[in-house]
Amino acid sequence: MSVEMSTISEHIRAVQQAGSSQAMLTATSALASCDHGESANGEAIACLVEVLGFNNPGAAVAAVDGLIRLGPVAVQPILDSLDPRNYGARAWAVRALAGIGDVRGLELLEEALASDVGPSVRRAAACGLGSLQLQALAPQQHAAVRQRALAALLAGCRDGEWVVRYAVSVGLESLGLRLAPQPQEHEQLLAALAALGQPELEDTMVVRLRARLAHQRLLPMAPTEAQAEAQP
Amino acid sequence: MPPAPSSPAAQPLPGDGDADGSGDPISESEALARLRQSDDQSHQYYAAWWLGRNRSRHPEAVPLLLAALRQRRPRDPLAGVEENAVARNAARALGKLGDSGAIAELLAALDDEDDGLREAAARSLGELGATEAVALLQRRLASGPAGAGATRPDSPRLQEPCEAMLEALGAIGVAGSDVIAVIEPFTGHERPLIRSAACRALLQLSGEPRWADPLVQLLDHPQLQVRRAALMDLGAVGWRPALEPICRTLAENSLKLIALRGLVEQGEHHGATIPTEAVLSAMDSLL
Repeated sequence: MSVEMSTISEHIRAVQQAGSSQAMLTATSALASCDHGESANGEAIACLVEVLGFNNPGAAVAAVDGLIRLGPVAVQPILDSLDPRNYGARAWAVRALAGIGDVRGLELLEEALASDVGPSVRRAAACGLGSLQLQALAPQQHAAVRQRALAALLAGCRDGEWVVRYAVSVGLESLGLRLAPQPQEHEQLLAALAALGQPELEDTMVVRLRARLAHQRLLPMAPTEAQAEAQP
Repeated sequence: MPPAPSSPAAQPLPGDGDADGSGDPISESEALARLRQSDDQSHQYYAAWWLGRNRSRHPEAVPLLLAALRQRRPRDPLAGVEENAVARNAARALGKLGDSGAIAELLAALDDEDDGLREAAARSLGELGATEAVALLQRRLASGPAGAGATRPDSPRLQEPCEAMLEALGAIGVAGSDVIAVIEPFTGHERPLIRSAACRALLQLSGEPRWADPLVQLLDHPQLQVRRAALMDLGAVGWRPALEPICRTLAENSLKLIALRGLVEQGEHHGATIPTEAVLSAMDSLL
């Protein structure tokens, strides 16, 4: 067993044996921030995923950070762990998947933005939908993922909480800058952001300011006909 | 409004809760009907909260809330949800509906013997920017930390709801030297939440940076409840120089986002040194 592996095992044991919420937070932070190296440590991932269900917000935040650091290798274990009866664990899982940006999390992010009861979960989902990583996908799959993410974000513009509409503005900006929208999609993005920037339609000032900033950043990015033709 | 939780065992995350929102989704006309009847006070209680939460603009909303505020009576601690609970929720809702026609009745409630009702009335008068309330608030706080700010012999509450009253004076914004003189002694109160409210009000009224320093220090307080209050207070003032310390504070991102929203919306006068875009960028990284 390598030195790293034994350290990780010790951290896992510390999480399993933690007798107080503070000890749990300390142990989880240590496990989350240790260098997992080349070997994707299945036990470490399983342990971090388990912490999401412990009703310990501090430790859950640390576990989410650790899972985001681990990246795509953590996605399947997170999806496998989803328990409809444990709302708290599910909410933290959404945050982890949003941070990783893996397309396997798309369905959960769509669902979360549309109907999760917690504004902090919906806001994380909105950000995640704008920053999905498409590199691993075949180019012909890009359009379908982008369309679904865009549709979810456009619906999110009508959320009842200002912080979610703020996150939707950020998600729309990021989708526009990173996911190479087609000319028609670019128009939809700009129209949605323009609406969020209008005082008659959006009553929260900070949302209007953020939407206008996103609009201003996306305006010069209009795809040309040539770029549009080059895409499937 | 977000949909209701699908599971009754749903546990909201920190910063997500609507403390009073434990009820079924109802329509505006249902809320008005529940407030109009008087057989079931728990229905009135929920209806009053609902009308404020949803910023009802129905012409009957304010008259019905005023009637609910008037139906209070001397407090009976043995009763369950009594009239005064309805009156307190009505007072809170009236602050949110922005109708200055409610000010006279709220002023009367500020002299009620129920300190919970005085607290609700003070907050609402602050939200309404009611300059008429300044003299009465000053009078109730004039005895200072040792009088108005003293702990009651029979409960952990203070003689006056000082936090709400100090915050109301700051929100109303009448910056006379006599107002400042009443608030200033509370910056030395033994309770950090009262010190925080006093500094917030003084910073709003005077704009003097010396009142910001104690608030920024409270962001490091060992108690989460105090750190949260300092976040809200710096946000309410829009004190952009606190941007970095706010981002570093050990508290939920949900609360930091509310504080930073305040820095954006209330802190435009700091724009030359700390541009709005810098605050928005900090908010983005907390989502």
